[in-house]
Amino acid sequence: MSLCQNRLQEERKQWRKDHPFGFYARPQKNAQGVLDLKVWECGIPGKEKTIWEGGLFKMIVTFPDEYPTKPPKCKFVPPLFHPNVYPSGTVCLSILNEEEAWKPAITIKQILLGVQDLLNDPNPESPAQAEAYNMFKKDRMQYERRIKQIVRENAAP
Amino acid sequence: MDSDDDFISNVSSEEDIMPDDSDNDMSNDEDYGFDDEPDAYSDLQKEPGHGKKAVYDVDFSVYQPSDIQKQQDDLIDEVNMILDISKEEAAILLRYFRWNKERLIEDYMDRSGQVLDAAGLSRSAAGPPKIQVIPDFVCDICCEDEPGLQSFALKCGHRYCVDCYRHYLSQKIREEGEAARIQCPSEGCNLIIDARSLDLLVPQDLTDRYHELLHRTYVEDKETLKWCPAPDCQNAVECGVKKKDLDRVVPTVSCLCGHRFCFGCILNDHQPAPCELVKKWLKKCADDSETANWISANTKECPKCNSTIEKNGGCNHMTCRKCKHEFCWMCMGLWSEHGTSWYNCNRFEEKSGMEARDAQARSRVSLERYLHYYNRYANHEQSARLDKDIFHKTEKRMVQLQKESGMSWIEVQYLNSASQALQTCRQTLMWTYAFAFYLARNNLTEIFEDNQKDLEMAVEALSEMFERPITDLADPKLKVEIMDKTTYCNKRRVILLEDTAQNLAEGKWTFNVELTGSAVNGGAASTRR
Repeated sequence: MSLCQNRLQEERKQWRKDHPFGFYARPQKNAQGVLDLKVWECGIPGKEKTIWEGGLFKMIVTFPDEYPTKPPKCKFVPPLFHPNVYPSGTVCLSILNEEEAWKPAITIKQILLGVQDLLNDPNPESPAQAEAYNMFKKDRMQYERRIKQIVRENAAP
Repeated sequence: MDSDDDFISNVSSEEDIMPDDSDNDMSNDEDYGFDDEPDAYSDLQKEPGHGKKAVYDVDFSVYQPSDIQKQQDDLIDEVNMILDISKEEAAILLRYFRWNKERLIEDYMDRSGQVLDAAGLSRSAAGPPKIQVIPDFVCDICCEDEPGLQSFALKCGHRYCVDCYRHYLSQKIREEGEAARIQCPSEGCNLIIDARSLDLLVPQDLTDRYHELLHRTYVEDKETLKWCPAPDCQNAVECGVKKKDLDRVVPTVSCLCGHRFCFGCILNDHQPAPCELVKKWLKKCADDSETANWISANTKECPKCNSTIEKNGGCNHMTCRKCKHEFCWMCMGLWSEHGTSWYNCNRFEEKSGMEARDAQARSRVSLERYLHYYNRYANHEQSARLDKDIFHKTEKRMVQLQKESGMSWIEVQYLNSASQALQTCRQTLMWTYAFAFYLARNNLTEIFEDNQKDLEMAVEALSEMFERPITDLADPKLKVEIMDKTTYCNKRRVILLEDTAQNLAEGKWTFNVELTGSAVNGGAASTRR
């Protein structure tokens, strides 16, 4: 079995054994109804005691053939209003960047926790969408109102 | 300028130096102060015949790959001895401190723990890591757990199987071109993989690449070192001229491979023009030259808002698109003053028209001025290229000449010197025009222009002699003439360069642009004015 498949299988085993509260992560079924280990559907809850609390955001994680040499791609579906999320929904985070802090030992759990941290702690140094970035910089009140509204629209069950 | 194409400067004139400067006196060099190390190699590596230097010369040394390796090894050995750490660790520390040995030792003595952390080294004194087989080991990357799996960990203890490590390292080295700062594959662990561990883990071809990349970082890390930009040249040049000095000196260096380039900006030799002017000039030429030519030939400016206007119809009644100003294309005067004599301008003396024409003329002057210099610059650039072609043919001509006239090899070498002189002088002349474009007029510029004229005339004369047919060249009288002219050209070039370099060093030139642009790292330099 390939390195990629092997590792993903193990990731899945580990996740089922134990995962952080409020998250979910499972490989998707492809068109033939067969489990595709390279595409996972994940849910990231907003952190407690932040404006994101109570929300649950769906993210598709796609693993390249070169995984874990190369990082997976994380994409919010639908695209999320957040300074570090591209208009396409793709997350801009250093540990997900091959040229930056990606290391082959980073686990899915670490990625999802990293993205959860990013929600309430945007990095103004690398804006990915203009709307959320500008609002975050210029009008924090309005930004927070907008986030709360998004949380209501994506409430955790 | 495309450096591959314009490889004009790869011939250095051996007669750069005034003939009377034969004594080998290097002691009273201007002190640009090499940063730290005593350059032990500089004397050995000095280009042959590099005697006492002229004002426009700077001190520099050329290092071959083996020298560069030796310098690194020496520094590593020294730190290894003084600080009692392994050579691999010494190398990592030196790279972290950009090879500033003094600062490294000082900082390390003060707070070794923090220094080690920051540089990505472990504080543990354990022996060098090795490949091990650990019972019940599971690799966190590939999740392999078969018994007897070989694994490796740096001193941090983050253990992965040898295959994953190898995979990770080859990705870093081959795909990302990384060498000096490859970290442990564990998240958040900043321990740097050392050369010895790497050699344990990866195959030979990859270690070669790794060491080559490391080798490169040494030159790139040090401000006083630069690679020779000539294609396939592996040498590096050391020169103490700092960025902030670039408004006072044009640090032209010459590699052992023969390529002459500016240490400040890595472009081909551009004496006498300082780097900042060269940058401005090249940008201006890239933006402007053809456009300016066309504008000059086909347009006029609106007398009111100065928008450039192309006349695209026959009627002389112009209405500016931008400011709606109405004027006459012929006399540039107000259209309203033309009264009923529309479409027939015969009112040359009117005041408004005169003023408009004056303004027009003034704005054209700056354009014409630029074109004046540009055309001469471009002309020399082209001539130098043609001379280069001739240079390639020179060899053949010399052989031919030997056959036809019965001269010996040594007797026809004068053609080679002439060809080299031609190219070097043209290269200089070309840049004198860029230089002159930015000069504000004063008495000094008169002298400069005289020097420029003398050199130009000498070069053109030599160029003409050089192109004579072989039968003429066999004439000993012409040979003497060519040799004389060659010497004369070189001498004129030296005089011109000495004059400009002297004045530049003393800050006597006045330029019509700011010389300390952002690129030349303003600050310190501008306060000296």
